[in-house]
Amino acid sequence: MNEQDEFDGDRFDGDESVDHAPAPDQAPALIMEKARKVYPMADSEVVALDDADIVVEADEMVALVGPSGSGKTTLCSIAGGILSPTSGRVVVGGVDISTFGPKQLTRVRRELVGFVFQSVNLVPFLTARENLLVVDELGRRTGAPARRRADQLLEELGLADRAKNLPGQLSGGQRQRVAIGRALMNDPKLVLFDEPTSALDTKLGMAVMELIRDEMKSRGIAAIVVTHDERITQFCDRSVHMEDGKVL
Amino acid sequence: MFLAWKEMRRAKARFGLLIAAVGLLVFLILFQQSLQNGLLTSFTGALRNQSAEVLVYRTDGRRILQASVISPDLTEMVGQDPSVAAVGRITQGTFSVTPLALGADAEPLETSIIGFELPDLGGPRFLTVGRVPANTEEAVASEVDADGGFAVGDVVRIEPGGKQLTIVGLARDAQLNVAPTLFVTYDAYRAALVSRNPDAGAPLPNALGIRPAPGLTADQVAAAINTLSPELDALTRDDAAEQAPGVAQVRQSFRVIFLLYGFVVPLVTGLFFLIITFQKAPALTLLRAIGAPASRLVASLLVQVAIVLGGGLAAGVGLYAALARGRIGGVTLRFETTAVIVWVVLLSVGGLISALFSARRVLAIDPYSATTGAGVGR
Repeated sequence: MNEQDEFDGDRFDGDESVDHAPAPDQAPALIMEKARKVYPMADSEVVALDDADIVVEADEMVALVGPSGSGKTTLCSIAGGILSPTSGRVVVGGVDISTFGPKQLTRVRRELVGFVFQSVNLVPFLTARENLLVVDELGRRTGAPARRRADQLLEELGLADRAKNLPGQLSGGQRQRVAIGRALMNDPKLVLFDEPTSALDTKLGMAVMELIRDEMKSRGIAAIVVTHDERITQFCDRSVHMEDGKVL
Repeated sequence: MFLAWKEMRRAKARFGLLIAAVGLLVFLILFQQSLQNGLLTSFTGALRNQSAEVLVYRTDGRRILQASVISPDLTEMVGQDPSVAAVGRITQGTFSVTPLALGADAEPLETSIIGFELPDLGGPRFLTVGRVPANTEEAVASEVDADGGFAVGDVVRIEPGGKQLTIVGLARDAQLNVAPTLFVTYDAYRAALVSRNPDAGAPLPNALGIRPAPGLTADQVAAAINTLSPELDALTRDDAAEQAPGVAQVRQSFRVIFLLYGFVVPLVTGLFFLIITFQKAPALTLLRAIGAPASRLVASLLVQVAIVLGGGLAAGVGLYAALARGRIGGVTLRFETTAVIVWVVLLSVGGLISALFSARRVLAIDPYSATTGAGVGR
């Protein structure tokens, strides 16, 4: 598949790569079987993810908890198509991405997954509305429907009056809400939140988590929330603990 | 386009300043190109735009028209060579000339006077107005000096002596040694000499103008004449202009300047985009992480480079078109279309090549860096 091919054809439909997969809407958002990520070093190797198994159902919200270096971010990066596993099987929204190359993974990130990162989440020279619309611009450019969806998301996130503001003109909480809106723009199967409250104070952090839970549940979208803060887990359906690259 | 335009709209001052800087550099390049060509035309235009295809100097004149003196035996030797169809004697000197149109008491000007025996072998090649002189009272002047008392119908007076010449035509790009230049008949030249010095004898020619024999090129004739005697130095018309003393040095000096400018424009453009690529590395990394193809980000970068180069080139050429006219001292400046085309192509290609360094950085972005907050600058 070349770069142009990414824009041809239909959106990933969920059953093109998976045997015996259920209907896409009912398929688990994530199936990870024996996923392993190994980084070769000079004379040895570092195992960042050690035969991880995890299944996240279509509308499930999972807290991924563990100390720094436990492999949470690596697991999320593989689930989101940012990294490829060294071995094992990874199925996102019914699409087996285990053997996908960089260009196919780029398309996975654009069409199947939403991201809210810990640090940089918005493009500083784009307004709040444009930060949502950029998702459409990077893909097949639907135009008017995308603009309507962006306006609707901003409305639902309470940011309609901030649509024309640049990220630098928004508070920390508002920026996180815009990032959540951006993560939902492509109607993803799975949204990955990497320490979404780490840059916020406790009160605002809890408010943002409430918002995340409400948005995910109201849309029936699965989510993994990476955190080392146990208080966050109360907003999720269940917690999965990690240590030394293993899912416990 | 979306990202490229949005970013440029939000950073108008930054991109505007870069466009202005590129425009200024382009203007300086083109202006100096005009200056160089104007300077060389003022030095040697009369040689390049005289009518003889081949000029023969005496070797010890070192290709300085006034310093070369052709003896009668050399003239006869050249005239008898089978490669030569006709020979016309050319003489040249510097005179003090008062343009009477500026007043009888006007300051005399150092003026080159070129005397030709045959109008098609040393006379002016391109007349923009008027005709060639037909008697000893007439002259053709260089067009650029028309406003200085050398227009058609004006009368000039040779000092001392008071011989007067009436301007009957103007020749394009026909100055010699950055001075007003007059083309006169050989007899008029002799009359001018006698006017200045009544004891002056008949002048020997400073050079010979040659008409090649049928079927021969100017290069072939020059080569043939050069084999006749080591005292003869035959050159084609263009070579005579190009190899005049000082021309090569002037070209070399300007070439160094152009080379520097030719590097500076792509360097400025390339560094600018490299800097902003580093500055916005986190945003680019984020975009890669959420599914932006690397090619899309590179295309966005190249669109910006094209806009900056296009804007800068347009601004520079516009400024050049507005200001590169008229004269600086004795040098005439012109809008030179060929120079504009050549420099626009060179600078566009150079600018795009320099932007490839930024493109490489963009292609090197690892989306995984979005999870760590790092960007391409790591």
